[in-house]
Amino acid sequence: MKYVWSWKVIVQSFPMLLAGAGLTIRLTCIAVGMGILIGTFFGIGRVAKNRLIYGLSSVYVNFIRGTPLLVQLYLVYFGIPALIGTHIDPMLAAIITMSVNSGAYVAEIVRAGIQSISRGQMEAARSLGMTYGQAMTYVIIPQTFKRIIPPLGNEFIALLKDSSIVSVIALEELVRKGYLISGRTFRSFEIWTAVAFMFLFMTLPITQLVNYTERKLKKGD
Amino acid sequence: MIETRNLHKHFGRLHVLKGVSVQIKQGEVICVIGPSGSGKSTFLRCLNFLEESTSGQIFIDGQEITNKKETDINKVRAEVGMVFQQFNLFPHMNVLDNICLAPVKVRNLPRAEAEERARALLKKVGLLDKAEAFPDNLSGGQQQRVAIARALAMQPKVMLFDEPTSALDPEMINEVLDVMKDLGREGMTMVVVTHEMGFAREVADRVLFMDDGVIVEENSPLELFTSPVNERTKMFLSKIL
Repeated sequence: MKYVWSWKVIVQSFPMLLAGAGLTIRLTCIAVGMGILIGTFFGIGRVAKNRLIYGLSSVYVNFIRGTPLLVQLYLVYFGIPALIGTHIDPMLAAIITMSVNSGAYVAEIVRAGIQSISRGQMEAARSLGMTYGQAMTYVIIPQTFKRIIPPLGNEFIALLKDSSIVSVIALEELVRKGYLISGRTFRSFEIWTAVAFMFLFMTLPITQLVNYTERKLKKGD
Repeated sequence: MIETRNLHKHFGRLHVLKGVSVQIKQGEVICVIGPSGSGKSTFLRCLNFLEESTSGQIFIDGQEITNKKETDINKVRAEVGMVFQQFNLFPHMNVLDNICLAPVKVRNLPRAEAEERARALLKKVGLLDKAEAFPDNLSGGQQQRVAIARALAMQPKVMLFDEPTSALDPEMINEVLDVMKDLGREGMTMVVVTHEMGFAREVADRVLFMDDGVIVEENSPLELFTSPVNERTKMFLSKIL
């Protein structure tokens, strides 16, 4: 068997792949941004003494972490619209699913971050007369955010890769583009190699950034 | 000023305080000594509700703070300063912000006024030049002096010290004790859990000896150190003096 590698097909399809990568990054950034908001909220809920708040936060986190992202996407894109008799825009469905999914993972990162702050910090704040909310807002959470930057970077990388799942609802992100182009050109090897490397080019800088901040934070501690 | 009646504290099945009753007058400096595990830190932490006593009563300024319905514990804590063994400064804030945070957020003091007060306190503890420094760049003794200034910034009626020099290198102990001595001389009501017998002897109006969850003996430092009555007190003192 002799396979002739074609650069030409890669060059020709590159603009399309780049557009797909653009959507991949956009989706991931929106989802992680929303995920940080949602996750901070529920992460604080996961350390709450109030049983209702703790219970609701735990149900959310465990449901999302215990079910496949693909199933969550189907639930949002097919399931819920069927229930209420409507259609949902694929882009909106993807953003909702990925944000809610990311939120659960970020919540666990935030929870671990909060619990890594020494108990003395909370005690010192409370001993000065601050309420639990004030102590959280001014003392605990600011310290938490510094510590969770590296795991948040890892979450970003994980979600960037997992975002390929939204290709199943015909959103033309990087994987969907690769699928369309290889179907048209019959150049599967070249196209999927190119797709793989484009993912790598997106994740590597973030990995480097995570390593860099980790080293820097270690020095600061 | 502070009174406890028959205070008990359980940690699960562990009975740590077994009926502690004590009266502390305005302006008194009380040192609490005793072997580790005797409940002295727990007793101190109960006084500002960092630990919740299982039974018994605590009165501060005549108000029963163990009566939960009528007490806003945050208000009580604002009046009761606490200094910890591990300093517990906020590492993400500089010294000035550490001191100003609670006065601004809890007492709603204008920032400028809080800063003025903070600088005056820093001067008092000899660290005015460190106002902009971060806790990580200070020595243990300096951190503890900032922690004292931070507690004082709330203008508390009483100060609690939980082994304030136990985490310090020997050469830094005196700079902290000196600040505390000044404070005692100025008439601050203080309760100090400590292993520094020299400090207790010099500054305390009264020394409480605790063992196994109860106050075994209390007296003036002179009496307690030179002629202890109780056997357990004698044994403890013979080991450390």
